[in-house]
Amino acid sequence: MNESEEINISNEVNSDESDSDELILTAAQVIQIMEEAWSNEKFAPEILPHKYEIVECILGQISHVEENLSNLINDDLRRSIHQMELDRLRYLVSSYLRTRLEKIEAFVCCILKEEDERASRNKLSYLSPSELEFAKAYRDGLDQHFTDTLKLLPAEILNNKIWQNEIITPNLDAFVFAKAKSQIEGVMIERDEEFVDLEKGSQVIISYSNISNLITNDKVSLI
Amino acid sequence: MFGDSAYTLIKELDRNPGTLPPYNNELVGEVKKEICHLVQQNHADSMANDESILGENGTNYFPTIRARHAGVQRNLRCLLAYHYNRVKCLRTMRWEFGSILPPDIKANLSSIETNWFSKYSSMLAKYMRSISEDGGLNLTVDLNPPKALYIEVKCLVDYGQYELSDGSVLLLKENSRHFLPRNECEDLIRQGVFQHIVT
Repeated sequence: MNESEEINISNEVNSDESDSDELILTAAQVIQIMEEAWSNEKFAPEILPHKYEIVECILGQISHVEENLSNLINDDLRRSIHQMELDRLRYLVSSYLRTRLEKIEAFVCCILKEEDERASRNKLSYLSPSELEFAKAYRDGLDQHFTDTLKLLPAEILNNKIWQNEIITPNLDAFVFAKAKSQIEGVMIERDEEFVDLEKGSQVIISYSNISNLITNDKVSLI
Repeated sequence: MFGDSAYTLIKELDRNPGTLPPYNNELVGEVKKEICHLVQQNHADSMANDESILGENGTNYFPTIRARHAGVQRNLRCLLAYHYNRVKCLRTMRWEFGSILPPDIKANLSSIETNWFSKYSSMLAKYMRSISEDGGLNLTVDLNPPKALYIEVKCLVDYGQYELSDGSVLLLKENSRHFLPRNECEDLIRQGVFQHIVT
């Protein structure tokens, strides 16, 4: 995106950003993480672990800066520049959340099933609590809709809930552009059983399924 | 012919991408009736089959049952596709028009779809409210990356008075031009009140 927004926000606030792990990050770093999460989410076919803390943090900053801005007089040049930056940031966050929502809606059954599995194995959940709630409500809504529309059909069809038989799943074999963030050795290409090494900063076109774990481990990013 | 009406239903869907034609109650009813009919026949035949197996040289009904069953499956698939795609279209409209639909679209919905829409609307609103601690984030604005803070817009209809968020009131007349903050007009552009002038 744009470099100016990082500089701008880091001037405004430098003190109180923190991750859930009590990491101290500067505003510029936070935004960089957010941008990366955004592009990963945009290009990955499946839903990725949520970055709720980052989103919260940026939204907090936005309202904080907005509050400061309201003290400035209307035709101050600084005001319009800052306002522009805020708009950009807000776009970044809402686009990120929108992309996630679209994925949740498209693959709702599949995502909830995976989420259940993760919960049963005590793994970190990919959806944030409110996303999870939304996903469940969305699934129930669809369920109800189909049940209602198929009313009057023989009971054995209704009880089978045939719309759950063929759920829509993301195409994990889709090809993506990936950039290595550090030296990675031995990425296995499943079909040919080949191994490739990725140099730091190198870019490859690769099937998503081969690098999905590297994305969650923050070793590569999608571009 | 089996499946004809289901096929017509899908064709109708295919011919109107991105819009919502009136809910085809009649055709949906026909498809459902066909399904019921086929299922009933299969029931009857499967009973007969039991006896004919015992009698050894009776007619074998299995191929007929299979064919009918395939017909039922196909019809169901078409029905679900029809409804699912309408719902998806409706969902896009929630994002475009907000929680209140224009009356011409509302007239095209079945009552079940209206129900779904209001449910979806409220779950989306609930999600958006829950995003940040202070009051949530409206995801249906900021759809495009912002390029400039102010944009030039042309008013297409006599809208009347419109209050901006800083309290000043504008009179929007047909063909008048305004230079406004982008986030203030985004909604009105989507509603067709404004046209964005790109120079």
